[in-house]
Amino acid sequence: MAYRSIRERKARSILTVLGIAVGITAIVSLMSVGYGMEEAITDELSGMADIIQVMPGKITGMSYVVTGGFTDRDVKDLQRISGIKDVSAMTYDSVEVEYRNEKKTTFVLGGDTKDLESIYAEPVGLKEGRWLRENDYKGCVIGDYVANDFFDEVIHVNDKLLLNGDKFVVIGIFEKGDMMHADVDRNIFLTLRAAKEVLQTDEIKYVMVRVYDIDEAEEIAEEIEKVINDNHGLEDFATAMTMGSVLDQIGDIFNIIRGVLVGIAAIALIVASIGIMNTMLMSVMERTHEIGVMKAIGAKSSDVLTLFLFESSIVSLVGGVAGCLLGWGVAIALSSAASMMLPGMELAASVKPGVLLGGIAVAMIVGTLSGFYPARKASRMSPVEAVRYS
Amino acid sequence: MIRTEHLSKIYRMGQIEVPALRDVSVEIEEGEFLAIVGPSGSGKSTFLNMLGCLDKPTTGAVFIDGTNTALLNENGLAEIRRNKIGFIFQQFNLIHTLNTLENVSLPLFFAGVSRAERLKRAAELLTKVGLEKRMQHKPSELSGGQQQRVAIARALSNNPEIIIGDEPTGNVDSETGTAIMDLLTALNREGRTVIIVTHDTEIAAHVPRVIKMKDGKVLD
Repeated sequence: MAYRSIRERKARSILTVLGIAVGITAIVSLMSVGYGMEEAITDELSGMADIIQVMPGKITGMSYVVTGGFTDRDVKDLQRISGIKDVSAMTYDSVEVEYRNEKKTTFVLGGDTKDLESIYAEPVGLKEGRWLRENDYKGCVIGDYVANDFFDEVIHVNDKLLLNGDKFVVIGIFEKGDMMHADVDRNIFLTLRAAKEVLQTDEIKYVMVRVYDIDEAEEIAEEIEKVINDNHGLEDFATAMTMGSVLDQIGDIFNIIRGVLVGIAAIALIVASIGIMNTMLMSVMERTHEIGVMKAIGAKSSDVLTLFLFESSIVSLVGGVAGCLLGWGVAIALSSAASMMLPGMELAASVKPGVLLGGIAVAMIVGTLSGFYPARKASRMSPVEAVRYS
Repeated sequence: MIRTEHLSKIYRMGQIEVPALRDVSVEIEEGEFLAIVGPSGSGKSTFLNMLGCLDKPTTGAVFIDGTNTALLNENGLAEIRRNKIGFIFQQFNLIHTLNTLENVSLPLFFAGVSRAERLKRAAELLTKVGLEKRMQHKPSELSGGQQQRVAIARALSNNPEIIIGDEPTGNVDSETGTAIMDLLTALNREGRTVIIVTHDTEIAAHVPRVIKMKDGKVLD
């Protein structure tokens, strides 16, 4: 009977189903894309689980305050800590680049060429030329954006650039960087010695440590902080982050993002539930006479209540299922659109069964709850008055 | 047996009290065929609603087979309506989204009878009222007389002792009206108590017992 009445009021039922479906679509797709992003990043990072990043600064909440720079002594002390495979020091800062009389500002990054190769050159790849060697004192490798989009004219291998006035030869050009290496595009890579000279500093801005045993990473990170803090006589000079703690932080950030997404979706659902309530109230009004007849021929208040609740739960079940399917599709579409717009970034939506089931459950709960008030109103009608209503 | 004791019903319209029934005491024996007649506003429909447990009196009591229905709650009244009473309305009051067969089986649905059983019983009843060829039709596809016969079949579905009709011939032509009265007479012969409200004196003339009402009172 509920089914008949839904079918009889086709247009309105479809609109109500659509309302619920849109809300559930929002929840399912946004959550799936969120999970997909998190998984993509986590996958990338867990391949680097043996890395400890050491930065001269303090992370408080979500901000990073730079406290200074490391010295060569810090690097030497780190190399003495047991369990550490290698230590690579890097420095970076902004630099003025001149190419064919055009000047721009970008970042220079210098470090041990072998280390830089394994961090950047191997995963991203070179499109032209070759990677730096330790004796390429006047050579540089540039990112895709620097080469193609930065200046009016495209830069090729063997072209010459001025970095803070010093002449360098381009010996290699990167492919476009992916999600994890997007910073490559706008950077210029030098040997550590050349970078120190161009930037006129001895300070090391970043140290990357590899450990032998991933399980010891946390302990070693603590030791690193202690050694450097002692060197500088400060409590919070250095921050050593294992990939594990980076993953934790990313997890936290994604929880916040997911919270916001779910909040947006919740608003959509509230609108949908008002829609259901409205539809059901109209249905109750319209069927006042019918309710009176049903009561006159022996329906109890609870029968009428059940009937209307059943009707709203069918509508919301259909809406929930449709929303899940739509959300699935939208999540896939969104992530492939994102992958297309950000080349190199492989983002697959992660549609979890739990999210789908949750979506249907939320639809049912919201739908049944918003159907409750109209249903109760219907069930409490006096049969005499309801029969007389026309 | 149905018995009313000093039944009165007062409707409140804002500040004004409108008495619809005043001190009505009537006894109706089992198997009687009774017509309540009177001008409009005489309280006959209100009285019928009390007898049919659709409404509660302001004061007084209605006893149906010894049960004082004035003391029952909503569910208790629904149960009596479902088990003992079959209603026939002037406007037929069929559910337009359901077909004939489903309309007739609806009271059985509320009584918790299985689908197969209620469809079987509904089919039997439709055959009894001569609509065996209209079982899949929607009410809108039937004539007034056919709709009223469906309503009668529906009133019979729970095999009630009492049939209550509020102007059952009021919306059909006189020929169909006669056919419906014949059907009600036949049901009365089966031993059921039939109570109808009518303002049609010709119809009332065919009914063994007539109660006349005026201004909420029963005239002797």
